[in-house]
Amino acid sequence: MVSKKSRHRDPLVIRTPEGLYCPKAQAHIDPWRSVDCALITHAHADHARAGSKDYHCALGGEGLLKQRLGDQQITPHAYGDSFTRGDVQISFHPAGHVLGSAQIRLDDGDSVWVITGDYKRDPDPTCKAFEPVPCDVLITEATFALPIYRWPSMDQTMDQLFAWWDHHVRHQRTPVLLCYSLGKAQRMMAEIQRRSDRSVKVHGAVATLNRLYEQQGIDLCPWERASETNRGVSSDLVIAPPQVAGSSFLKRFHPTELAMASGWMQVRGVRRRASIHQGFVVSDHADWNGLIQTVQESQATQVYATHGETRVLTRYLNEHLDIAADRLETAFGIEEGVDQ
Amino acid sequence: MNFVGLFQALDTSQSINAKRDALIEFIRHADVLESAIAVQALTGRLEKKRLKPSLLKYTANQAFVETPWLFEECYATVGDLSETLAILFANPQAKPQTNAPILQQWIEHQTTLAGLKPEVLADALLAQLQEFSKDEAFLFLKLSSGGFRVGVSKGLVHEAIARAIDMDRAVIEERLMGPFVADRKWLQRLQEPVTQNELDARPLPFLLANPITDEEIAALNPQDTLVEYKWDGIRAQLIKTDQTIRLWSRGDQDITEQFPDIVDSAITLPSPMILDGEILAGTPGQLQSFNQLQTRLNRKRITQSLLNTHPAFFKAYDLLRFQGEDMRDQPLAARKAVLETITIQQSPVLCPQRVAEIAAMREAARDLGAEGVMIKDRQSTYGAGRKAGYWWKWKLDPMTADCVLIYAQAGHGRRANLHSDYTLACWNDQDELVPVAKAYSGLTDVELKAMDQWIRKHTIQKFGPVRQVEPLQVFEIGFEGIAASTRHKSGIALRFPRILRWRQDVGPKDADGLAHFHALMTNHHAL
Repeated sequence: MVSKKSRHRDPLVIRTPEGLYCPKAQAHIDPWRSVDCALITHAHADHARAGSKDYHCALGGEGLLKQRLGDQQITPHAYGDSFTRGDVQISFHPAGHVLGSAQIRLDDGDSVWVITGDYKRDPDPTCKAFEPVPCDVLITEATFALPIYRWPSMDQTMDQLFAWWDHHVRHQRTPVLLCYSLGKAQRMMAEIQRRSDRSVKVHGAVATLNRLYEQQGIDLCPWERASETNRGVSSDLVIAPPQVAGSSFLKRFHPTELAMASGWMQVRGVRRRASIHQGFVVSDHADWNGLIQTVQESQATQVYATHGETRVLTRYLNEHLDIAADRLETAFGIEEGVDQ
Repeated sequence: MNFVGLFQALDTSQSINAKRDALIEFIRHADVLESAIAVQALTGRLEKKRLKPSLLKYTANQAFVETPWLFEECYATVGDLSETLAILFANPQAKPQTNAPILQQWIEHQTTLAGLKPEVLADALLAQLQEFSKDEAFLFLKLSSGGFRVGVSKGLVHEAIARAIDMDRAVIEERLMGPFVADRKWLQRLQEPVTQNELDARPLPFLLANPITDEEIAALNPQDTLVEYKWDGIRAQLIKTDQTIRLWSRGDQDITEQFPDIVDSAITLPSPMILDGEILAGTPGQLQSFNQLQTRLNRKRITQSLLNTHPAFFKAYDLLRFQGEDMRDQPLAARKAVLETITIQQSPVLCPQRVAEIAAMREAARDLGAEGVMIKDRQSTYGAGRKAGYWWKWKLDPMTADCVLIYAQAGHGRRANLHSDYTLACWNDQDELVPVAKAYSGLTDVELKAMDQWIRKHTIQKFGPVRQVEPLQVFEIGFEGIAASTRHKSGIALRFPRILRWRQDVGPKDADGLAHFHALMTNHHAL
């Protein structure tokens, strides 16, 4: 067990203009400016930025990182293996967010800090399940830190999705599922594959990432890239990133029915404002219960919340669970954007 | 299909045709009692508020007794009380039942709940919600607390009913006027012939006016029109049979009980007869403000002292049925001629020769407490709804003022999570900003989004869902009326305030002061 007295003496991680920084290891975590050594939790754009000298990530995530950042110096590490910089032992642990996503554990022998990056507690066939890592200080995300965010089971969501898909194909409309191209798209395709022999057409942005997932042995449903020659109503589901809404890409499949798979779809007003007809509540982030469970399992006596509903989470931890918690402003996440 | 199935079909489609088809299918195939109650709910006829919002809030606070602030955060994010409770307390793993009829049972259950003490009710309601899926819980609460909206207009429902039973929409709309009885015979009744007594007693669809455009004014033949003031009251039909006198509002409410004085004064009128007109506050010689009528509508019991302090009367301007005869197919001028033989307060009529006369009458409207003028085609019959070319309204320009944004709050429904409800202030004599109006609309979606971001960045303090913002943004507001008020800190109450434009060209110091409002009040016939 780690000592609980030492935690305030010398913070292992501080905030610098470049991002979260561990001075003892001389390494930044998900920096938003160029640095010498960047420890990366996962390949989403708000966590992985180009321009640093050395990158470290979890084994399995380096392909995505390369695709996103171009040719960089990247060292992958197997989950659980540790390496040392300065006097700090560094290791990557599964975060269950997307393929190759990791929590980062830092241990200087005096105290243990864990930076979660983005994570979820629900099962996902495309990545290793989240593993709780005991620590003194937990730096967590808080994207969906409100009790209204409780994720339904994937079984139920997929039943809904198939019924919606069949309904619109019967009425001669192309079903289009908008979702984030890295992670969510592949998760939906893996879930389709587990339950059916259905196939999908995907936007180019999704296709590139699909190949990287398949190279890592992830089993996706049959897919083809939607090409210029695909015209008219498709009985295959079309999977595309949200940015295509209103673009010429969708016109090819006219008439279309738009759905979105995202945690934000939990609130009807958000869905209607986005002019989305059907919302499927599927998130790659922890829901309220998942966040609280994670904080408790970590046994941390100090928690920092980096992005999302940080005010709500820290107040709840301070006032009701008696865990010291503070907000830590970062450049992660987007206040009201599309779920990742 | 049951109501939950219908709701899902309506809520997940934005095409009018798909919505109409879903409605037709539902009316044809659903249990007939289910469809009866559904029609009530979709057309705003369901008896409102079996469970008041305050009871829903109380229930939520019982469940969040340790962390009431956490519930407030949830409510502020969702923007709708029923939806917030549905998300928080329904069983996320439950599958909605979308076939077997449920509405009758729901209504009975809600009525039972409404009779319980709040503490008992909270427990019972929570237990019920935990058995529901999210959609069921949402609908159950929406139907119990009033304000149910699902993006379907009354007209669309009427059209779907007409198509489902293969009848003319106009006939359906007429037969649906008056109190709606939700029983197993509702569809059958719509298809049966109507007796003379029923015709004499049943309210008729209102003819509504369109706003007149500058082009239409230029193209107008004044000699072909009759012009009246547009009165600021409650549009209503006065229905007198040999046995009864009723007042039926344009909002499809029977409001007879709120106006016993009008009923009394109608006793001497001939019958049977249906008049179209306006319920106004005050007396014919001394009009009072519209707010006075609001008081009458809101009171459960109308006492003699309320009748003395808040008198009301009926001003007639059209005659729809007279002595058993339908007058609506006769031209307006002919209907007016018969109306003039009846002894009741009537709106003065101008038969203009030139547009300038109409314009002059419009100018005079504000001093009389009217909102503008109505221009009606002399030859027009009395149609239903907003018929083009029958009646126009030419309203006064609104009064305006430049005000500073001081508080913002997230809206509801489509605007949930978007700060769209503004509290606007003007300067008082001590150079302080005092709130004068709450305004909800008038900005474009793009402007609203930009303002939302600005508000999030310039918040000084949060009070639950309300953000106090730096007093930097100026908006021009328009309003229809202004009256002194003891309930507002500013001492004034505005009627229909709304945002006309975002004044990015001026700073907060350029906003208007209270003196500007006082001047408007004295200049324009303070009601």
